[in-house]
Amino acid sequence: MRKKLAAISLAVAGLLAISVPLFAHHGNASYDSTKTVTVKGTVTDYIWSNPHVLLKLDAKDSSGKMLHWIIEAQNPLSQTEVGWTKDTFKPGDQVIVEVIQAKSGVPVGRFGAAGSTAGLATQESLIVINGKQFKP
Amino acid sequence: MSKRCAVSIVALVAGLMFSPVLRAQIAAPQAAGPEAKNEARKWNNIPPRKSAYTGGNPAPAPAPRRDLSGIWDAAGLDGGFQVNGANEHPALFPRKGGAAGSPLEATAGAEGGRPDETGIEHPLPYTPLGLTALKANKPSGPGVRQVPAALSNDPVDQCDPMGFPRMELFELRTFELEQTANKVIYLNEWYGNWRIIWTDGRELPKDPEPRWDGYSVGKWVDDYTFVVETVGLNSRSWLDHAGRPHSADLRVEERFHRVDHDNMELTVTIDDPKMYKEPWMGLNKFPLHLLPSDFDMPELLCSPIDMAEYNRQVADTVAPSRGKKK
Repeated sequence: MRKKLAAISLAVAGLLAISVPLFAHHGNASYDSTKTVTVKGTVTDYIWSNPHVLLKLDAKDSSGKMLHWIIEAQNPLSQTEVGWTKDTFKPGDQVIVEVIQAKSGVPVGRFGAAGSTAGLATQESLIVINGKQFKP
Repeated sequence: MSKRCAVSIVALVAGLMFSPVLRAQIAAPQAAGPEAKNEARKWNNIPPRKSAYTGGNPAPAPAPRRDLSGIWDAAGLDGGFQVNGANEHPALFPRKGGAAGSPLEATAGAEGGRPDETGIEHPLPYTPLGLTALKANKPSGPGVRQVPAALSNDPVDQCDPMGFPRMELFELRTFELEQTANKVIYLNEWYGNWRIIWTDGRELPKDPEPRWDGYSVGKWVDDYTFVVETVGLNSRSWLDHAGRPHSADLRVEERFHRVDHDNMELTVTIDDPKMYKEPWMGLNKFPLHLLPSDFDMPELLCSPIDMAEYNRQVADTVAPSRGKKK
């Protein structure tokens, strides 16, 4: 077994992705990808699971009403490829995230920003966790 | 059978930097010590980006004869995912001047809603039966016929098997080939597919009972090209993520061409006269890159329970018409 070989070859990872659109298995048909919605709130749950990693958070809307948001990312493999782990978020974290929101207006969204083709976070959406911008 | 040439791989990486940032990309960042990083790197490896494979090695070692074995990476992020449909025929309109990979290219009809594929850049030669079958399949991925996930009838969205050849025409990431005296064992990461390609000279079955992954035989047509024929495929599977249909009469040819020690090209040809007036290629010399033999492929299996939970929490809330589907 050539461990050294493995270690060297695994180092061949090239540059970090820069603005390469990553496509969702599910397209954006249900989401309004013309508008960036910024959600600021407290994480209540973070589900590291197929088909989509889910972030749940409580956030007040502009009228002060508490909304229970669910925001989806991609599958765990794709998220790992852009630096996420099962511990990236924890309940209680104060976060600011950019999402595209369901056309129906329910507090469901997908990480992304206006014009994004797939809404994959770290490519196209701002994420701030406890005051620090998430940049894997 | 010696498969690895340390010199070639080392030459490949010569001049490339080994940065801690890249290590973090490869495995979940854990404790700071080098020991911990080595441990993390042994498991659930994520392959490098395509850019890592190009320009690094001006003189790779020559291809071994009649040998496909190894762990092969399709650089999924850079072409293997095929979420718009098989690589050679994405369900997208001609790009409005956008470069490959740019948002302009990506959104050429990707928002969906069309009844058929009229106007896509690389149209398929559907028979009338094929076109009817296409329209019955409602894909949820970005493409000209996209529907909201809750309205999709994509079998893999309910954890039906990926089937063959969809395992190569969708989410082609990493797979392993191992050769024995009478077969090639094919292990595919996405949805955990495996199949056997018999090389013992047997003929394909004449009237097979359909299987999701079919019946495959393979042979070397020269020292560097391995050709596989597959029949007996369950017509319930889709050919790709754009919902291309197939009948039970489908024959698939794969052509694995070992270019050199580190590189292989895969060509997949679809031949289904019931659905398509002529054969077409799903992949055309798609580049595959050899990974080290101790690369631990991460697992991604479809859990029906997790799928149902996702549908309940997300898909059905943004397009709550699941009851109308199919």
